[in-house]
Amino acid sequence: MSAPLWLADFQAQFAAVLRTPLDRSTGTLRAATIGYPPALCDNARPRGALGGDACLAVYNRQYWFRMFGVMANAFPLSARLVGHWTFNAWTMQFLSENPPRGWDVDQVADGFEAWLGHAFSAPEIPLDKNGVTLERAALLQAARVDGAWRSVFLAPAEAPYRPSPVEANVLMTSRLQLSRGVELIAEDWPLLDLRHQLAEDTGETRIPLPPRLADPCFWAMVRGPSAIGRLALQPREAQLFALLREWPLPEALARLERACPESERDGLPANAHAWLMRSVALGFWSGIVPSNQ
Amino acid sequence: MAFARAVKCYGEWAMGNSTKLAPDALGLGLRTPHYAHIFEYWPDLGYFEIISENFLGASPVPRQKLHRVRERYPVVLHGVGMNLLGHAPLDERYLDDLARLADEIDAPFVTDHLCWTGSHGTTHHDLLPTPYVPELVEFAAERAHGVQRRLGRPFGLENLSSYVQFQASTMTEWDFYSAVVRESGCWFMLDINNIYVSSENHDFNPEQYLKAIDFSRVLQVHLAGHTREPNGTIVDTHDQPVCEEVWRLYQSAWRMGGPFPTLLEWDDRIPPMPVALCELGEAIAARS
Repeated sequence: MSAPLWLADFQAQFAAVLRTPLDRSTGTLRAATIGYPPALCDNARPRGALGGDACLAVYNRQYWFRMFGVMANAFPLSARLVGHWTFNAWTMQFLSENPPRGWDVDQVADGFEAWLGHAFSAPEIPLDKNGVTLERAALLQAARVDGAWRSVFLAPAEAPYRPSPVEANVLMTSRLQLSRGVELIAEDWPLLDLRHQLAEDTGETRIPLPPRLADPCFWAMVRGPSAIGRLALQPREAQLFALLREWPLPEALARLERACPESERDGLPANAHAWLMRSVALGFWSGIVPSNQ
Repeated sequence: MAFARAVKCYGEWAMGNSTKLAPDALGLGLRTPHYAHIFEYWPDLGYFEIISENFLGASPVPRQKLHRVRERYPVVLHGVGMNLLGHAPLDERYLDDLARLADEIDAPFVTDHLCWTGSHGTTHHDLLPTPYVPELVEFAAERAHGVQRRLGRPFGLENLSSYVQFQASTMTEWDFYSAVVRESGCWFMLDINNIYVSSENHDFNPEQYLKAIDFSRVLQVHLAGHTREPNGTIVDTHDQPVCEEVWRLYQSAWRMGGPFPTLLEWDDRIPPMPVALCELGEAIAARS
């Protein structure tokens, strides 16, 4: 049976109410009922002192506050680095352009990391009227850390790849495929530590960006049986894993060797072997992909 | 007649299948902050209810925890995303996944809301009302009946808490709700807090609502807390203890149609498990 004809129109009007961005001009978030579809406002029964539009505004606010919660939960580090007031404004902008689809609330934040990259192109992002800014690179790294955590948590179960002897030849011409339960992270600020510290912090105010690290740090974020863990990677190890995702093993090793200074080359074969063995043992890889794909 | 047979058959299935949900069972909504307590103390509880969508994703982590819980307790499914009153066709893949999950944990029954949650390809992640009119009864009943048949187990419809009513409505909410349940051959998933919230927001007598319910077809009753906003609107926030008025309404419902399984929902500002269990225990006092 088809829906009554009026239902789609009614729901389109209601959806327009829900998605009307909240007004921030007064320093608090208020429903801007002026933009609601007049036909729906007329249909909504006034209740006591509240007009129909004020009744609808409950849903408008509820929609956005739920979305603020979902987004801040998905990107907690990014949200705190800019403060929830600013982050919520970005959420309204992002979700107005990319409204949620499908029943899975975990998918609401899909694409936010990329959206941030497009939305802000200047090296410094203004956060308030007093001239406070955040380095774009730091924000994008924070979003990458948040995005990686989400991705690892939401990944389906995958059997770890254990190369068999008969696959030796294929392995030489194939790229390794990183498991969806693993993400590789590079950071110039101690962002993973900061995210960990925020786990029990329900605050919404902006927190300062910690000082830049003397040297970049590299991590593998790995989903274990009961929690998501992180494993420190040596810079060259991280470089090898990045190369292995792009090139077959011999080519990846050759490129790594070429990138190494003379002083590292003697120890490189043993190190590379150890790094590879450990990555296989920890289930970093889920399979191989022919190098032409 | 076919519906009546289905009702009898599903009813026996719900209360007599291997999961053995007692007719007066007390249950709690399964929430992440409580896992540690559950896995350490395995509290004495009749059953748990899960938000179905939290366990339909690809990640194995929630599923693993669910299976640990299921080893010790019956688990029922409660959805927030079926979009029963949406103008578009139901999401077939969602229904397949839901049916699989229900089978996987041998759920005594599945419930969702008599509402819409999305339109025109987008989802609003909220439980939204419509005008209450007879032509929508037919539409909702046919869909709900199809869902129940597809799930192969009782399907309960939950009444909404609402903050707006429409001039276009020609039926009361309780008449609409009762008619959909009756016509579909499905069941009531009666939320007592929602009745109270809507009665305060729309100025009706909640006892009148209860009188319209056929309690022989109540699968489960929900209890929860709410919040009153500065403008007087009561919002169904599930972040407070159950208020006195809702306990009194529960008592009326029990007198009218008990026993029925009763579940406490707590979704925000979730207290430690012992506090939630204590609150649930109040239901026993309210029944006497």
